[in-house]
Amino acid sequence: MKKVNWMVVIAGAFVGVAALVLTLLGNPANMGFCIACFLRDIAGGIGLHSAEKVQYIRPEIIGLVLGACIMALAKGEFRAKAGSSPATRFVLGAFVMIGALAFLGCPLRMVLRLGGGDLNALIGMLGFALGIFVGVQFLKRGFSLRRNYTMGRPEGGILPALMVGLLILFLAVPTLFHLSETGPGSQHASFWIALGLALVAGALAQRARLCMAGGIRDSIMFQDFKLLYGFIAIFLVALIGNLAFGTFKLGFELQPIAHSSHLWNALGMVLVGWGSVLLGGCPLRQLILAGEGNGDSAITVFGMIAGAAFAHNFGLAGNADSLNEAGELVVGGISSAGKVAVLLGIAVLLVISILNMPQKEKAVQKN
Amino acid sequence: MKYIATFHTHLAALVTSRALATRQVKAWMAPVPRALSSSCGTCVCYEADLPMLEAMDGDVERVYRVAEAGQFELLFENE
Repeated sequence: MKKVNWMVVIAGAFVGVAALVLTLLGNPANMGFCIACFLRDIAGGIGLHSAEKVQYIRPEIIGLVLGACIMALAKGEFRAKAGSSPATRFVLGAFVMIGALAFLGCPLRMVLRLGGGDLNALIGMLGFALGIFVGVQFLKRGFSLRRNYTMGRPEGGILPALMVGLLILFLAVPTLFHLSETGPGSQHASFWIALGLALVAGALAQRARLCMAGGIRDSIMFQDFKLLYGFIAIFLVALIGNLAFGTFKLGFELQPIAHSSHLWNALGMVLVGWGSVLLGGCPLRQLILAGEGNGDSAITVFGMIAGAAFAHNFGLAGNADSLNEAGELVVGGISSAGKVAVLLGIAVLLVISILNMPQKEKAVQKN
Repeated sequence: MKYIATFHTHLAALVTSRALATRQVKAWMAPVPRALSSSCGTCVCYEADLPMLEAMDGDVERVYRVAEAGQFELLFENE
């Protein structure tokens, strides 16, 4: 057993507690944090899609990026770097988002849903782990998006600066934005509390390198379980909190903002897991890396926002389970277009994985 | 003597690990220690009498000597 990295445990536990608090204060159930859902809400808030129920300027995203940025600056770890296949990362980010919205949550929300008793998240996690396993096979054989390069500091500050601008604009002229009156987008905790908790979570995640995909990836590649402890800490805190507050509900059907279409929960998360390994981190990690100056991660975040807009403009996102007027269960899931998009995403990841394997001469040189 | 090399890409770590192995150097890949970087890349740990810089891939970032007390002494840097 390798040494426990307590920083990762503390960061994970804090994210779990913050998620519980934000849910109690108004965020949707099992959605104290969800990077995919919140980027989707921001995409709607700035008018990139017109799904009226999922539009809001989520301070959690702003806080995570700025918290990581402040901590990186304070510790001398802010480094402007970019240039590692940016267009490919944009596309990967978009498909990771499409996969996450098919499942109805990013890997972080998957863990929070699991802690709330949502067994669909267990199916999602199997798909996520399978996607990571496939991605690791390509990594082991030399997959690479090429190296990044040192940039001027302004390049590294692009996403944090945009977040500051969004924050100021939202506080100064909120009428500029589309804000949901019903649905998940209308459910939110107090803006300032959410911003404050996310700032701390972002700072801790930067110190701990918290990553939902990294834990499983490192376990498979190196039998190194350090990052996995963060994943486990979030789950345990969410589980204990939900049991304590009476919000734990075990089962598959009618879980909050979730569907029980198992195949598409799994395949959506295969897309997320595989894409996250190719990108070098889950959606949460991309926000944190962008906060500490990584322009490639900023491009990935832009890709995720574009993917969210596509998902809602073309009806690709999942629909939650519901009851009809007769009180019968209507299993949610994704539309035919959504299924095509998830399968297309997996095909695109396969092509990107193959095309970015080492060139023949370099592979020979290695052996 | 124990050394740690960090890289700009995972592929460069893989190439270096193999190059060290062909030189009969005990080498293994691992996540980069948090003390060395906030990124979550792959490093190569190896045990040799010399730093073996000639075995490094072109995308090597830094090479450290690991002191007895666990401190890292920077030997080579390639930004």
